[in-house]
Amino acid sequence: MACAKVPLDEQHVTEIMGPMGREQTIPALHPDRKEERCFLPYKPPPEDNSSAQIEEYLEQAQFISEDLDWLLSLPHDKFWCQVVFDESLQRCLDSYLRYAPRTLDTAQPVSSPAVADMERCVHRSVFMVFLRMATHKESKENFITPEVFGEIIYNNFLFDIPKMMDLCVLFGKGNAQLLHKMIENIFTQQPCYYGDLNETVPSILQVLGTVLERCGLQSEGATASEPLKLGSHDRPTSMTMPQKDLVDLIVYMCDTCTTLHAFLDIFPEACETFHSHGVLSRLTSFYEMVVPDLEKALRKRNFDKSVQEDLWSRLCHSRKRMVEIAHLLLQHTCLQPILEGAENMQSSVEDLLQNFTNFIQEKRFLADYDEQFPLADDISLLQQVSPHLDETRTSYLLQAVESAWDSVGKKRGRPPVPSAGAAAGAS
Amino acid sequence: MSPPRLTGALRSFSSVCKKEDIAEDEYNLKAKRLKRQERFAKEGLTWQKIVQFFTQHLDKKDQQAAQQELKGLLHSAKQIVGADHGQDTIESAGVFLFETFLGRERLGAEETRAVRHMFGPFSATAAEACLASVSRLVTSVGEAEAFVRTQNAGRYGLGDASSTAFGRNIAFSHDGYILDCHEPPPWLDVPDEDAGDLGF
Repeated sequence: MACAKVPLDEQHVTEIMGPMGREQTIPALHPDRKEERCFLPYKPPPEDNSSAQIEEYLEQAQFISEDLDWLLSLPHDKFWCQVVFDESLQRCLDSYLRYAPRTLDTAQPVSSPAVADMERCVHRSVFMVFLRMATHKESKENFITPEVFGEIIYNNFLFDIPKMMDLCVLFGKGNAQLLHKMIENIFTQQPCYYGDLNETVPSILQVLGTVLERCGLQSEGATASEPLKLGSHDRPTSMTMPQKDLVDLIVYMCDTCTTLHAFLDIFPEACETFHSHGVLSRLTSFYEMVVPDLEKALRKRNFDKSVQEDLWSRLCHSRKRMVEIAHLLLQHTCLQPILEGAENMQSSVEDLLQNFTNFIQEKRFLADYDEQFPLADDISLLQQVSPHLDETRTSYLLQAVESAWDSVGKKRGRPPVPSAGAAAGAS
Repeated sequence: MSPPRLTGALRSFSSVCKKEDIAEDEYNLKAKRLKRQERFAKEGLTWQKIVQFFTQHLDKKDQQAAQQELKGLLHSAKQIVGADHGQDTIESAGVFLFETFLGRERLGAEETRAVRHMFGPFSATAAEACLASVSRLVTSVGEAEAFVRTQNAGRYGLGDASSTAFGRNIAFSHDGYILDCHEPPPWLDVPDEDAGDLGF
């Protein structure tokens, strides 16, 4: 084993190596110290109950589980040699993130208890391996220089943005605190990930654009304000596309909303980057166009009842997640600085009001947002921290909320909050 | 096939990931089984040690019977791994089968899975014959299980791996996200006034 109290990246070891059995001194982190373990890629449980397929799945998963447990039992230096130099390990982990069933997936996992037990074992081991890979200091003796750790994880693609998003959606529900620490440490030690995040956000917006396009609501490359191209009326819409495509579209949207929400909820530090790309306004206009369109398709088209109900639940879930994403973005870019009394508080107040004003044209979104996160509460907060707030503006906003509720035909679960002006007058 | 995912799209369209085709199976189950057999043969208990153990622990009069059982065990092992393998592979298979069937009364699901895990599909008759040989051998010498445990204490060079594994004390939750929808589909709503029109 390598010597103690020196970072792993500076340690050297003397080992007997090569066919001649000679002693050699090499860096502790060296490809020759990796073992030929040959990690297998992960395959999800079979969708049917054929015993041959289940046996094959169990055998493969058992190998993965044993190999990952072996990896977790390795001393710090050996673990990192394996992680950095064993490509089969990285393929195994990557395949798990890509193909492991999410609890939201439509296909129900096979009910065999042996399969379920095996899934649980692999699930835990994969998480622990990622946790160990995100930890640059395991103990006083076992650590890596933070800057070198940042280079190792980045240059070897041990983590990337889609992997971190997969980690959040797979493990985030019950392990949010640990995941937050992991991802926070990854971004702290390697700020290049913020650059990667910045590069990823346009692709996320492109995904929203693809959904709109598939619904026939926006032609390729066009913005909502541009006229549709000639011939675009021939494109399939949510009412005319094949049922399988509609199912895929709603499943895709549901996965997109869940993944983004899980990521931003666990790592709110990413909100600033999302906000700087104008995600909020794109998301609200996306919501305004897609939600009523898909609701109509689900109501009017002929479906198998169970499929129809499942799709409705997914659409409903996606709506809720989109509203929550919008709230997370506002909370971490505007509300938080206001509550903390930050130096730029006034610009945060203005930013928040401007965002609320932008919501006004998206009536359906505004009503749904207000249902979960009443605007009146936030406006009341603004009035407390910023006594000179333009009362006309806040009254206008609150009236717009009322009007949004009326125009979408929603009924409030609680009485409407009186406008700021009326409240002031009453007192 | 896995459903369409956001992260799948990001892997395809963004430039922040390593581009590689992980569908290409460099290591498959067959290759992995062979690897495991090779590793098994190198570590812990060996066939020679088993033979030596029975020679040392039996009276001369019982030794011949034990030799016959061991020979039978190797023969069955050969049937399980396939006749085209060398003596070393057959002996290491014999060791694995000896360990797997030690203290077992019948060929249950657990034993079947362990053998299949090591060798792939196998002959049940040969496995039953192995089990019977191991059972007769162990009856003749009581300390066989303790002997195997001692021999394997340092297998894979890990000692008691579970007690030192990273994450053993970390609480982990298996909870997953579920569909969060409390709004019933509108087509399930039957307005009261409509219900009143029904001719009950």
